[in-house]
Amino acid sequence: MLRAYVWLYVGVLFGPLFLIVLFSFHSSPAQIFPMEGLSLIWYRKFFENEVLVQSLKHSLTVAVCCTIITTIIGSMAALALARLQGWVKDAFGYITFAPIALPGLFIGVSLLTLFAQLGISRSLVTVTIAHVLVALPFFIESCRSRLEYFDLSLEEAARDLGATAWDSFRLVTLPIISPTLIGAAILVFAISFDEVIVTIFTSGAETTLPIAVWSMMRQAMTPAINAASVLALSCVALLIGAFGLLNWQQRRWKLARRKAVNGGASA
Amino acid sequence: MIRTIVQLNRITKSFGSVEALRDINLEIGDGEIVTLLGPSGCGKTTLMRIVAGFEQPSTGKILINGIDMVGVPPERRPVNMVFQRYALFPHLDVFDNIAFGLRLKRMPAAEIRTAVGKILELVQMGDLGDRWITQLSGGQAQRVALARALVNRPAVLLLDEPLAALDLKIRQHMLVELKRIHTETGTTFIYVTHDQDEAMMLSDRIVLMNRGGIEQIGTPEDMYAAPTSLFAAQFLGDTNILPARVIAVDGAVAQCDAGVGAIHVPAKGLTVGDEVKLSVRPETITLSTAPSGELGTALPGTISDLTFIGNRIVYRAALANGQVMICQETRTVAGVRFQADTPVILRWPVEANVVFKV
Repeated sequence: MLRAYVWLYVGVLFGPLFLIVLFSFHSSPAQIFPMEGLSLIWYRKFFENEVLVQSLKHSLTVAVCCTIITTIIGSMAALALARLQGWVKDAFGYITFAPIALPGLFIGVSLLTLFAQLGISRSLVTVTIAHVLVALPFFIESCRSRLEYFDLSLEEAARDLGATAWDSFRLVTLPIISPTLIGAAILVFAISFDEVIVTIFTSGAETTLPIAVWSMMRQAMTPAINAASVLALSCVALLIGAFGLLNWQQRRWKLARRKAVNGGASA
Repeated sequence: MIRTIVQLNRITKSFGSVEALRDINLEIGDGEIVTLLGPSGCGKTTLMRIVAGFEQPSTGKILINGIDMVGVPPERRPVNMVFQRYALFPHLDVFDNIAFGLRLKRMPAAEIRTAVGKILELVQMGDLGDRWITQLSGGQAQRVALARALVNRPAVLLLDEPLAALDLKIRQHMLVELKRIHTETGTTFIYVTHDQDEAMMLSDRIVLMNRGGIEQIGTPEDMYAAPTSLFAAQFLGDTNILPARVIAVDGAVAQCDAGVGAIHVPAKGLTVGDEVKLSVRPETITLSTAPSGELGTALPGTISDLTFIGNRIVYRAALANGQVMICQETRTVAGVRFQADTPVILRWPVEANVVFKV
């Protein structure tokens, strides 16, 4: 019974994704079964479409910038949050978390007003700022619980063994928390990459991929959109895969190095 | 005279309005094992953290090797610490954990390998250098934590309740190991614990702390035999406390009334009418059924229950006024001599009483 439920769950979760991937390779524009044949034609159509390609580049640029900025601000905030105590911690925690509950519409309108007041014209910069704002609470929330379990006596141990405050952060804290931070950074990338609502309010002439796809779909449904979605999906999937691989490799290198050094020493 | 390594002068420490330490004066000699003993919240951990440099004293001076350490950060103090939960770096293996301090000192790699190898031998972890921290048992983690601190050749090794997380068998074994390592390295140990048995087994001197102050400093034996306060008497080992009043002083011996008969105690400093509390250790009390006329105290009582612990037997005996006295005797071939509800006479010599004026 539970087993069947698991398959149902996975099916509901990934079924639509699977259909999009499948039809992006369909040789006919019809998105119905039976399939007539396989083809990469929609991918060619995608890359021939100047607007889509440009918007993909914009999306990647914004997502990368947003991820870097959010990771720096977010990890500092999360580390601070893990060290605060009492009501200050609670208050700070709620304030940090609150934007998740705010409707995107509201954030979009208020940012639009703010930028207008400040005389900042809308561009990819304003989009990036908006994305940082949207993604930051998710970043902090997703790594905060892990950071709160970080044993502060590890930093004291490092200091005790002769490390300056900066050394102990660099040699102990950062290596221990980096998998958590990287995981949260990937989440931020994904959030920024497919953000629509706030982007609509804050983008200028240059659009991002989701906006471009959205405006295309209002005119006509072309399977090139499927191809675009699959490309977007692969970007995020690749990122997650690379992270997993990196983790696995590091462990292996470390073991190999240790064997080489110690095998020599103890023999 | 042994050279002084650590000197604490009139140290106080407040956290906001809470006074954590008051007027701490202490000198620790080269190669000593000094235990800071006391109940939780007595300030022993705060005091150790002040020596390590994680806390700054509110007032007072701390000298290590004659150099003023106030304001000196932990990384520039010649002390190393074994943390309560070891605080081993989980992203490094045993070797890299131990080499951490040496690498920061930019010791050449070959020397590091020799030094780490030697210290691993010392803590009997010789072939476990490439283990991950998560693969270690509690006792092994303890040894690595010791090695990681000792490899830096600190002037003082600080140990913060290092055995608290281990189970009893390993704890006793590690105590013996700590003594061996102390003998082999000659390093000065400051050891924080709330466990009086650990303190007595390990220490050259015990610093008994209570409510942020030092209650008494002395060798384990002194402190056990001659506690200077009721707190010290009760904290170190088991004891019976009898409230009493001095009714007669006759030369070196005073007679007290405890409501259950006469108790004879050393008369030093006592005058008739003084209210006192007497501390009598369970092992100083002898149980018998026959009355006899020796000098000392002889009170009638009734055995209420007994606990057989193998090499010793602990009896609880109720006096006439209902006060329960704990009496301990070493088991002999006679075995358990009294059963519950047996009437007995409790005897103890004059010197067995430690007297505290109320």
